[in-house]
Formats: sequence, structure tokens, C-alpha cells
Amino acid sequence: MKNVLKNKKAIALFVVPAFLVYSIIVVLPVFWSFYYSLYSGSPGLKWEFAGLKNYAMLFKDKNFVAALWVNIRYVAVVMLGQVGLGLCLALMFHFWLKKFKNFVRTLVFFPVVLPTVAVGQLFSKIYEIQPSYGLLNSVLSSLGLDHLVQPWIGQASTALGALSFMDIWVAMGFYSVIFYGALLDISHDVIEAARIDGANGWDLFRTVLAPLLRPMIITSLIFSFSGTVKMFESSLALTNGGPGNATKSLSMYMYNVSFSYNKVGYGSVIAIVIFLICIMGSTLIGRFDKKEL
Amino acid sequence: MKKKILSTLLSVAMVAALLAGCGNGSTKETSKETQTNTPSTTESEAATDSTDQGQAATQDPQTEKTIKILSIWAEDNDNGVLINEICKKYQAEMNPNFNWEYELVSSDDLKQKIATLTASNDLPDIFVYESGKPIVDLIDADKIVNISEVLEQYGCADSMNPSAVSLLSTLSGTDDIYDLPLGLNVEGFWYNKALFEQAGVKVPTTWEEFEDALAKLNDAGIQPLAAGGSDKWGVTRLINAYLVRSAGPDAMTKAANGEAKYTDEAYVAAAQKIQDWADKGYFGQGVTTVDMNTAGSMLMTGKAAIFYNGSWFTSNLNDDSANLAGNDGIGFFNVPVVDEKISAGDSYSMNCGNILCFSKEKYDDATGWFIKYFVENMGNTAMKLQGTVKGYNYDTASSNVSGYTQMVLDNINSAKSAFTWYEATMGSEVSTVAQENVQTLLTGDMSAEEYMQSIQDAFDLSN
Repeated sequence: MKNVLKNKKAIALFVVPAFLVYSIIVVLPVFWSFYYSLYSGSPGLKWEFAGLKNYAMLFKDKNFVAALWVNIRYVAVVMLGQVGLGLCLALMFHFWLKKFKNFVRTLVFFPVVLPTVAVGQLFSKIYEIQPSYGLLNSVLSSLGLDHLVQPWIGQASTALGALSFMDIWVAMGFYSVIFYGALLDISHDVIEAARIDGANGWDLFRTVLAPLLRPMIITSLIFSFSGTVKMFESSLALTNGGPGNATKSLSMYMYNVSFSYNKVGYGSVIAIVIFLICIMGSTLIGRFDKKEL
Repeated sequence: MKKKILSTLLSVAMVAALLAGCGNGSTKETSKETQTNTPSTTESEAATDSTDQGQAATQDPQTEKTIKILSIWAEDNDNGVLINEICKKYQAEMNPNFNWEYELVSSDDLKQKIATLTASNDLPDIFVYESGKPIVDLIDADKIVNISEVLEQYGCADSMNPSAVSLLSTLSGTDDIYDLPLGLNVEGFWYNKALFEQAGVKVPTTWEEFEDALAKLNDAGIQPLAAGGSDKWGVTRLINAYLVRSAGPDAMTKAANGEAKYTDEAYVAAAQKIQDWADKGYFGQGVTTVDMNTAGSMLMTGKAAIFYNGSWFTSNLNDDSANLAGNDGIGFFNVPVVDEKISAGDSYSMNCGNILCFSKEKYDDATGWFIKYFVENMGNTAMKLQGTVKGYNYDTASSNVSGYTQMVLDNINSAKSAFTWYEATMGSEVSTVAQENVQTLLTGDMSAEEYMQSIQDAFDLSN
């Protein structure tokens, strides 16, 4: 085995095919997109070199700023919600729940396997107000809270919140399973010892569990970040970006610009911005990891 | 460190998926289905001497010709059936030397495909396209045949339905038409007769009566209007309805030409009208979450009294399981008139669906004769086979026309002129803004002025 791994040719044999495939389907499109971003029009038709004009347009574009702001708020809320609630659920499974553990776990994990479009349909029924009240509005109405009955996904003030809630609900089960696995790995002795030292619940979490779970938290945050920054299908399924553009994300805007308006060059610029946001975001999250080392 | 690499890789992989989408734009595969039809009999009597110029105007010279047709309907579906039927009959009755190749492209790829073919000067003889802005670009580039001239030359202009012709010329912004219609739909207000009776409301013909009716229905505890706010176009059509009746049928065209601004008083007033209705609760709560289908079923189940939609809505009305109002429970009225001088009561909101264009480069006498046959026979063929009106005159009756379909036919036949829909003159960027923001207009997050300003801004930006 050692001999094989010392042989440069053997290494190349293993690495090159995968590297080639990776380059063609991952690296190449990035450069390709950069090349596109310098042109205006659509490929094949009025395809002209535009220099940095597309980039300049970015700063004047109100729709871009609006989409960016929607995206940032969405990422912040959904990422914290998914990971935070996932962690709480895992703690609940581990320390609190004695009966029906498996049943509850299955129940919480269940939404993860549902198709996004189905979830979108489900929640648009839950939030429904016309022609008849959906689940949420009828519960509010029967509790006598009629002033709270409102078109949850039909007005700009609540649409993004309603969408975020849906996405947190979908994914928190996934993170709870990850954290639950990590909690099972933590030796009982450590927890026992802390208890004997007189640590209450919060102390236990803060000083013992949280540091031990740290790598898992970071990984989950990165997972969640990359899942939410591309915000597209759930918003498309629930609100179609509306009302107005209250739930229109950067990637939806990019799609519109490239394929509806046929401005592939400008669309590529937006794609590059998304790319940069991803790199910045994951570096930022990675920073927390480094401190420890 | 490892984590950092992992995280970067993850994000790269993810974004690459987004970017890859852009790269494919130009090379998208089109579903292709080519088929050549050869005549069963290749006899050609009198094919030689009839090509003389003198005879061309009276009798088909039976020139040998293979016509390529690019369509979005399969041969056994919708207009595909009709186009192929006409070709078959033309071959059998008029010109045995005529052949056709029928190629299929998905309707989503149509514009892209035509754009590519235009750029490479390779447009097929006949192709299905979209009216409005897309066809204007082709006319400007001088790529398609002036159909009015062809109809004149071959003496078959009488076979066209006049409102279809007026509609097509409005849509292309020219006096002549450059395309043939493949449908003729009329739009207007469908109403629930039982609810009208319950509130003691008569079918309105003027806008004043219409607003009275809305108020009366509302007072009677009936939701006056259902509208598909989540599909957006169901609401923009309402703005258009008032705009056309108060400022004339060419209002949107003027704004698109730069002769007027979308922020002018009449335009803002039309948007304001719809916002006022929303404020008064005429649409019920949360209209932006209702789609056209739901709105339609609200009308049919008696939850709302009036619903704006096109004649294609008859397929829902003819479905007994969906239409609780029954075979005679729903009525239709044209957009009420504000001022008879500006826009008359016999002017309807109409559209021709997809249209047929003819490549100028490939056009010759043989195509001309085919067009003549097509125009003269399409009306009867469509009525006989499908019971539909396609924008050509017809003199046969279909045996199985339901009451609702007949109602639509009567309205189409009584139309003297036609006006187009709201987004017909808008580019895709402007129309996206106009549709998206109409939701914020309904919720009151945007005033009527701001709404029209946003359309004007998008218009300025795209020009």
C-alpha cells in the first residue's frame, strides 16, 4: 500500500479523472460565467463586448439591492432558526424525552424527506385566507383573535417571516439528528462529573456540551448557510417571490435577468456576487473554528 | 484548516450549479420531431403549362414545393391537428406536388429557437410565434412576409375575421398584418346570475352602473369580485379594462412608444381604481394569495359575483363537477363603457393566442397559394373539428357546441373592433415589473403613482 501511494503515477491515476470531471463541471463554468459577465445581450444575438458596464449597473439597480436585502434577512433568520432549534430538539431528545423517543424523532425528521413543492403547497393552504381560512387563520379565529387573522403570505410585512418559518420547520429535524448523534458521542462520565461539581442545566450546556459540540455546530452552520444562501425553490413554491418582490431572492432575480430578460451578461454578474457571498460567508463561519485551534 | 477547505469547496460546488445554468442558455436542446410527408400519388397533370404568369391569379399552378413548419403543438394536439389537416387537404385537393415537414419545439424554447434561426438567416417557411413585442422585432428586421399584401394579391382578404385583423395590426403596430391568427379569444366579466339576482343587480353596460353594482353586491354581503392576484395578470387586466375605456384602446401602445408616460394622469387613475376596490374590500381578504383557478371556482360556487377571464374559461364552465352554478348559472358581459366616444361597447378585449409567421426569405408563389388555401379553409376546418373560432370566417356549424361556448361565439361575432391586453406592448422586463408590483398595489404597500412610476422606471431602464 505504501508503495502504491508513493508512486506519483498511481496518485495521478486516482486523482486525474475526478479532477478532470470536477474542472469541467465546476471550475470551468465559473470562468465561463466571468467571461459572460463582460458581454451584453444574449449569446448568438446582439452579443457585444460591454467591459465592466454590467458591474456598474449592479450599483444602480434597486431590484438587486432589494433582492440582496431579502436574501440576507432570510439567511440570518433561517440559519439561526434551523441550527438553533435543531440543537434544542437534540437536547430535548437526549435529556428530557423518556417515552416515545423514536416516534417523536421520526415525526420531527419527517419534513426533511418531503419535496419542497409539496411543502410549499401545504403551507400555502395553512396560511390561506381566501376563499376559506387555512389552518392558522381558523385557529386564530376560533381563539377569538380575529384581529390577528391576515393574509400571511399575501402582504409584504409577513411574507418573508412566513416563508422563513416554513423552511425552519422543514430542516430543523435534519440538524436535530446531527446534534443528537454528536450528543450520543459525549461520554456520560463527563456529564456525570459536571453534575457532581454542581453544574445546573445552563452551566452544563455552556461549559461542557457547547464546547464539545462546537465542531458540529460549525459544520451545521455551513450546511445551513449554503442551503439558505441559494434560496430559490421554497420561495418559488410558496409565494413565487411575491407579493411584489418581498420574497424574491438573489438567485431568483438572477434567473429572471438571465432567462426572462435575456440579459445573460448581467445575470452572470449577479451569479458572481452570489459566489462571492458564499465564499465570504463560509470564511466567516470558519473563523469561529480557527479560534479554538 | 480542513474545515475551511471543505466549506470553500461546498460553496464552490453549490454556486457552480447556479452558474452552469447560464452557460447552457445558448445551446439548449430543443425537442425535435421532424417528419416528411410524401404524397401518395405523384401524378402532376398540367404542372408545366400552368406556371404561366397569366394563370397565377386564378388557378393554383401546382408548383412543386416542400414547406417547413415549426410548431409548438404536436400533430395530434390543438392547432397541430388543424395545421396538418389543412396541409393534407391542400395536398389532396389542390396541389399534389406539395409536401410539408412538421417540426416541433417546446413553447418555452420557441423564442430562443426563433432568435437563433433569425440570427443564422434560416427561418423556416412557416413558424408559430408570439404576437406583441416579439413579432414587432421581426417586422423591424424585415424577416417576415407582409400578409396583407399576400391576401390582397390572391384575393382572399374576405376570409379573415375583421376583428382578428384589427387586433393583429394593433399588436404589431402597423397598418398591414404580418401574421395569421391561430385563435380568437374574447375577454370580459363572467358573473354569477343567482348572486346578481339576490342583490338586485342588473348586468351593467356603463362603468357607472358597474361600480354601482359592485357597491350593491358588497352591501348585500356578497364578495363582488374574485381575482387571481397570485397569478398577477388577472389583476393587471382590470387596470387595462378601465384604462382602455377611459383613455382609448391605444393608451398602452402610446406609452410604449414614448408618446405618453405611464405616469400620466389617466394611467395613474386606472391603477387607483383597482387600489380603491381593494381598499373597499371588493376582492375579499388576501387577494394576492388567490390564483386564477381558485378565483374561477369562487365564481362558480357562488362565493364571489364577478370574475374577469377569457373565453378559455368555458372549459371550466362546461365541467359539471366544477361548475356548481349549472349550465345557465354564469353569464358574460363586456367591459363596461366609460365614454362611448373613447371606446365603444362593441369593442372587446381580444387576443389571438399564438400566431403564424412566414419567412420572407423562403416566400414564393407556391407559399402564396398555400396561404390562400389556408385562409379560406381554416375557419370551417376549426369549427367542424373543434368547435372553435380561429380568426377566419366560417359557414358551417359544429354539432356539439355547449351553451357557454355559443355565448362566447356570439360575443366574438358581435365584436366590431378589439383592444389588446395590458402587457402586449411591454418588453419582458417591463411586464415583469408591472405584474409583480400590482400585488403591492393591491396590498397598499405602493400607491398608484408609485406603481406607475415603477413601470416607467423599468421602461426607461430597458430602452
